[in-house]
Amino acid sequence: MDRKRTGVDDFEPGPIPSPRPVDRFGFVKQDQNNSSEGLTKSKPLIDKEREERRARKWRKMIGIGGSDWKHYVRRKPLVVKRRIRKGIPDCLRGLVWQLISGSRDLLLMNAGVYEQLVIYETSASELDIIRDISRTFPSHVFFQQRHGPGQRSLYNVLKAYSVYDRNVGYVQGMGFLAGLLLLYMSEEDAFWLLVALLKGAVHAPMEGLYLVGLPLVQQYLSQFEQLVKEQLPKLGQHFMQEMINPSMYASQWFITVFTYSFPFPLALRIWDVFLFEGVKIVFKVGLALLRYCENELVKLPFEKLINALRYFPQDALNPDVLLPLAYSIKVSKRLEVLTIEYGKRNGELSQPTESRNEQVEVTKQSRK
Amino acid sequence: MATTGINYIPAKLVLLGEMGTGKSSLVLRFVKGQFFDYQESTIGAAFFTQTLAVNETTAKFEIWDTAGQERYHSLAPMYYRGAAAAIVVYDISNTDSFTRAKKWVEELRQHGNPNMVIALAGNKADLVDNKQVEAEVAQTYAQDNGLLFLETSAKTAQGVNELFLEIARRLPKANPTQPSRMIVVDRSSERLVSTSYYCC
Repeated sequence: MDRKRTGVDDFEPGPIPSPRPVDRFGFVKQDQNNSSEGLTKSKPLIDKEREERRARKWRKMIGIGGSDWKHYVRRKPLVVKRRIRKGIPDCLRGLVWQLISGSRDLLLMNAGVYEQLVIYETSASELDIIRDISRTFPSHVFFQQRHGPGQRSLYNVLKAYSVYDRNVGYVQGMGFLAGLLLLYMSEEDAFWLLVALLKGAVHAPMEGLYLVGLPLVQQYLSQFEQLVKEQLPKLGQHFMQEMINPSMYASQWFITVFTYSFPFPLALRIWDVFLFEGVKIVFKVGLALLRYCENELVKLPFEKLINALRYFPQDALNPDVLLPLAYSIKVSKRLEVLTIEYGKRNGELSQPTESRNEQVEVTKQSRK
Repeated sequence: MATTGINYIPAKLVLLGEMGTGKSSLVLRFVKGQFFDYQESTIGAAFFTQTLAVNETTAKFEIWDTAGQERYHSLAPMYYRGAAAAIVVYDISNTDSFTRAKKWVEELRQHGNPNMVIALAGNKADLVDNKQVEAEVAQTYAQDNGLLFLETSAKTAQGVNELFLEIARRLPKANPTQPSRMIVVDRSSERLVSTSYYCC
């Protein structure tokens, strides 16, 4: 589990020269880094054993290549939920993400489609994508090399998506989603997982986060603001006094599902749950962050507050501290009510389920 | 006029412009003196502060750096509303970004604070070999529209401090009885502002 402490510094990477040491996930170590340093360095041996034990359990649960997965989920959904919340073993993450997101089914039903999109189609977003390619996870070894394999894959996936759904095209932020996925699976798999998420194979479609006017961002921020007022009234009051609006700090939480400027080990754990349980975990984690730091935050004036909402203390970002707190926060019922209210106020325009098109049908069928 | 202590004039400033023109890099150069070849794309918006001494006063910039892509347009008004100054950035090696900059200027003239100091920054001035937007063209446009204009390079630091210094000089002088604090996050100013160069 913690090879990086001793091994990586001496490790000679193959074709890509990397003069600086990287963490376990491939990020170049920096002073104020977003690596796992400090979070996982205690008791490495016990951690490693625990991870191996968990991986064995998981292998049994999913079967060879995921063959037993659907059966297991149907029989013991609560066991699955509990295990996912503890974190999917890193060695199985890529496979399990594809199983729980419904992307594996999409891939099987659409053989050859990805290749078609990458090779034969052109997209109006190509220039935008190129401009952002080297600015997506610039501190990760896989994406660092100009025109290297990482950047090429990232470009292909984003371009393919911008063709697949021309209404969305490419929107800044999507690169971080695609980048995260590419660290765990092939281009084609990453593409279909992106489709599963944006078109809503299992959960509410995310595409509204990226459509013109960012309707779903507006909706989620409005709901988040309301939840802060209800669940953390003191802080909600303070935000009002200091004129802090959630779009000043939380828009990137929703747009990139915590893959932007959050420590990678935390982002991964959030994604495990996000893919299985849906967007409510984003609300829960956001509220947990605020709750964990509430006593500090309520003392701060505007400027310091904005800063504190961007750079949370290390201990708050430890997944084993933050996530249990997040799980303890209940939002589902309130979110449903708030969604209906928001829809009424905004003439249903922003309802994510309204903007479906033919391609969604493909996705819908795959659920069965 | 002698006052006690340092006279900070807070000024909300917003950066606007096409994606990849170097808005974040300009801020980072100004605030931290840093530059990265591959600056992570800005998602949403980011906030910075920096003080700058001008004559007897010190301007305190409260800077909102925004995401540049057109799709994020709907989030921008909240950052330029009530701003005392704006820097509209284009990339000298990209004509489209200059077109986009002009659109931003129009929007600020229509919906921004009428006293707003607007600066046009032709960034990436170090890319002389790929230059597509001539300084004279931008200069003429800036003059016709009452904008400050400078070519800058966040990479070499050319023009960056000068840009902020010029903006600071043009900010309305602090009103001794009613400091411009109000400007910072004043949402109600949309309707209130009239063409009062010398209020009270």
